[in-house]
Amino acid sequence: MNEIVKTMGLTKLYKGAAAVSNLNMRVNEGRIYGFLGPNGAGKTTTLKMLLSLIRPTAGEIEIMGKPLTPNTRIQILRGIGSLIESPSFYGHLTGAENLKILQTLLDVPKKNIDKVLQIVRLDNQRGKKASAYSLGMKQRLGLAGALLSFPKLLILDEPTNGLDPSGIQEMRELIKSLPKEYGMTVIVSSHLLSEIDQMAEDVGIIANGKMMYQGALDNLHDVDKSKSLEEIFLDLTGKEQSL
Amino acid sequence: MIKLLKCEFMKTRRRYIFVTALVVTAAMLAWIYPRHHSADLLRLGWMANLYELPLINSIFMPLLSIIVSSRLCDIEHKGLMLKKLAVTEKRGRIYDAKLLYGLAVMMLCVVLSWGATIAFSYIAGFEGNVPIKLYLLYLLFTAVPTVAVYIFQHTLSLCFKNQAVTFFAGAIGTFFGTFSMFLPQLSWLRMSLIWGYYAVLMFVGLFDWTKENRYQFAHFDVMGIDWTFFVVLIFICVVMYVIGREIFKRKEL
Repeated sequence: MNEIVKTMGLTKLYKGAAAVSNLNMRVNEGRIYGFLGPNGAGKTTTLKMLLSLIRPTAGEIEIMGKPLTPNTRIQILRGIGSLIESPSFYGHLTGAENLKILQTLLDVPKKNIDKVLQIVRLDNQRGKKASAYSLGMKQRLGLAGALLSFPKLLILDEPTNGLDPSGIQEMRELIKSLPKEYGMTVIVSSHLLSEIDQMAEDVGIIANGKMMYQGALDNLHDVDKSKSLEEIFLDLTGKEQSL
Repeated sequence: MIKLLKCEFMKTRRRYIFVTALVVTAAMLAWIYPRHHSADLLRLGWMANLYELPLINSIFMPLLSIIVSSRLCDIEHKGLMLKKLAVTEKRGRIYDAKLLYGLAVMMLCVVLSWGATIAFSYIAGFEGNVPIKLYLLYLLFTAVPTVAVYIFQHTLSLCFKNQAVTFFAGAIGTFFGTFSMFLPQLSWLRMSLIWGYYAVLMFVGLFDWTKENRYQFAHFDVMGIDWTFFVVLIFICVVMYVIGREIFKRKEL
């Protein structure tokens, strides 16, 4: 299986303290990779490094077989859809206008706007200002922006944050459908074990900036058959860490 | 770049950037005109403009720069859009496109206020014809300090989420720049501040004005134009642009 994302010794220090330490991440193509860890474990920092939003202190990143360098950066990043932390949008513009700007920047066909609005079920709200959207709608608009170019790789940082149970389920089903329907690889981060358990095929567990486990989710169940998945997770991340 | 400028235009929909800039320019013109001109000032009017307007520009143009740059960049901060834009386009180009768009708004206002000044002066009945060469020089010496101030404001607005930082830095600079015009003995002060260059590049002086006779025997004359400071200002613009662009490129989002 091809590895679409590969990090070698990825490290990020803030004033000498390691937010991410010597991380070797491996994401297989066409799969959903759940990036799991307690709050403050280093998930967002790692994902931001993959997107060149912050610079690693040390280590290398390889995406789609190419090393991520200043020269290859934009070419690689244009093949990635992302939703990091809170969704990005211009509140004074409508949903469709927001996507029009991204469509122009990405130079993708105009019809993609209608298509992604349909996928995230915002087609009836396309003319409404984004500032008037509910939190769930804003999240879906963010996802629509990430899907606009139908990228090979989609990076979603806690995409269900702030959603109500039905919104969470809807988002989960949508994410699960992406590899099959559009051939995408999805990296989805969460601090909720149950969330990742229902969505991901592969999992990376991070705690204190270090990768504690990486592999198929099914294999994680086999680590210790006498324990529940939650107990295994707590053993790996340290019981004092919050879920 | 055209694509990015098109996006800048789309982003400013319902933000009324042009309208706001035009309102500030109109306020500036309303402050200057209409006013009563004595017979002496009607005689000296064309040159008097070139003597007085740099002071007005040193207040309004930086103020306008703060407003335009802040309104253009604040939408990116409020919408958390920089992290989205940074993965679709080179950061240097994002900086350039926004700068170009903002400068276009600023230059439109500079040219409009210049044109309005000439129009109002004709309407007021100033004697003689407009000394067009001197007015073109005045236009150049208004535009270039405005570019310098705008680059500074643009960088701050883009790099700081909190636009109060931009406002206070700009307001303090404007205060010292304008203040420096009242302290001719401290020429180093205006030369060391980009806001002071409206005064540094002033090329018309007032002579023989007295408290008793006021403008009766007064006359305005062109002083020697020292192009060195114009070149210095161009150099400052280039340096500020390179540094500002680099800071934005290195900023962690």
